[in-house]
Amino acid sequence: MAKELTIEDLRVMADLAGLTLSDDELQRLLPGVNRSQQQVAALRAIIVPRDEPAGVFIAADGERK
Amino acid sequence: MTSNELYYLTIAEASAGLRRKDYSPVDLTEACLERIEALDGKLHSFITITAERARAQARQAEQEFASGKGRGPLHGIPIALKDLYMTKDIRTTCHSAVLEKWVPDYDATAVLKLEEAGTILLGKLGMHEFAFGGPSVDTPFPAVRNPWNLAHVPGGSSSGSGAALAAGFCYGALGSDTGGSIRTPSAHCGIVGLKPTYGRVSRYGVVPLSWSLDHAGPMARSVQDCALLLQAIAGYDAKDAASANVAVADFQSGLKDGIKDLRIGVPRDGWFDENLGVDAATETVFNQALEVLKNLGALIVELDGKPFSIARKANQTILVAEAYAYHERTYRETPMKFGSTVRRRMLEGAFLSAADYLTAQRARSVLNEQIRANFKGVDVFALPTAPRPPDTFEGMDPNEQNLRPSFTNPFNLTGLPAISVPCGFTPDNLPVGLQIAAPSFEESTALRVAYSYEQVTPWHERRPAL
Repeated sequence: MAKELTIEDLRVMADLAGLTLSDDELQRLLPGVNRSQQQVAALRAIIVPRDEPAGVFIAADGERK
Repeated sequence: MTSNELYYLTIAEASAGLRRKDYSPVDLTEACLERIEALDGKLHSFITITAERARAQARQAEQEFASGKGRGPLHGIPIALKDLYMTKDIRTTCHSAVLEKWVPDYDATAVLKLEEAGTILLGKLGMHEFAFGGPSVDTPFPAVRNPWNLAHVPGGSSSGSGAALAAGFCYGALGSDTGGSIRTPSAHCGIVGLKPTYGRVSRYGVVPLSWSLDHAGPMARSVQDCALLLQAIAGYDAKDAASANVAVADFQSGLKDGIKDLRIGVPRDGWFDENLGVDAATETVFNQALEVLKNLGALIVELDGKPFSIARKANQTILVAEAYAYHERTYRETPMKFGSTVRRRMLEGAFLSAADYLTAQRARSVLNEQIRANFKGVDVFALPTAPRPPDTFEGMDPNEQNLRPSFTNPFNLTGLPAISVPCGFTPDNLPVGLQIAAPSFEESTALRVAYSYEQVTPWHERRPAL
């Protein structure tokens, strides 16, 4: 599980990204950002070191393997 | 034939009638324009109506027919485009204040191909803003409504394409699909929509949402019509970096071959019950559709749904990261020009790191392999297109949406072709879609299964009362 972010965490992250967001906007964003972080954590759990990014994606690759 | 009987013809029927000289391209065009004029005030499916251009194209088609210069089955057929297909000299808004007055100076490749096939362009269709938000409440154009019940959303993001076809405003349309945006409105509006294999149809001139997940594709009122439209727009395009140089099949030829002994995989276990799970009425209709497929000779094979379930997480991570990368500059310059839903969703991408994005792309490699491995045991996958019927505008809850399984996302992540065909109605008279997904570049197989199902069921013939 990824750490649950707070409004304060999000404000710091927004500053680092150079984004000026109101408290209301940060509040509306928070559930989605937390969901994103949880999603990435779940994805991290299914990969192993040899897995490479899809990169330039070619649809037929899967069947050729 | 009266205009009443004209506007709900399929493309195949309309084309045959044109060749018999039962009516002309001008008659078809006027029938559509009259109906749009009479009813689109309720639906808001069009952003721009190109009536004069359509009439000129119709007259030209009429002359070509008269002089024996037929261009094929789409010649003289009125169509419309989701408003993210660039159209030369016609504004292309993406349903957004950001591009409210933008007039491109070139056509998308798919648009050019449809024009070469002799279609008549009726106009540009409403959508979710930049194919990303929900039904728009704070953009310059009203949200599109569902022809089956105006209180309900039509599904998106190709909402105008779905609504216009269900309402009899056009004979075919193009949509785009990054997480289900062709198939969901097709299901919710009771029409047919095909997301082809990634690379099959050029994305050149289609305003991007997420480069590695975006697909362009056809929507229509029958499976055969989708095949006709796909035939016209498919093929390699050097202008699209993701375009696949793969031979284009004849999508009509195998339609009637049936599905006897075809193995249909249903990845139900570990997916249909994810979080809030699939709506009960939807699953009932879906199970009835499986019985129909069984009666046609297909074999139903239950599969492990877990990799399909996880696919949504990778799809959404990649989507928001790429969408933010595409829109970042405009967002920083004019943030308030974006609607509130797009702003909220897009900014989720701003809080992902490069490592997060690459984790999702690595997971994509893993899931792609796991999902495709199922094709050793089955020929296609079958699923409900959407996990539940369309929401009401009042009852929409973006967070609740994330608690249902996404049956469309995995086929954007893997690039596999997938079609939605009407398969019944809920007790509230809202359409339900059956989704069939096939191996890469085997659109013909998906079309054949959908066509076989369509021919023995009445759902595609029902029309909304408008």
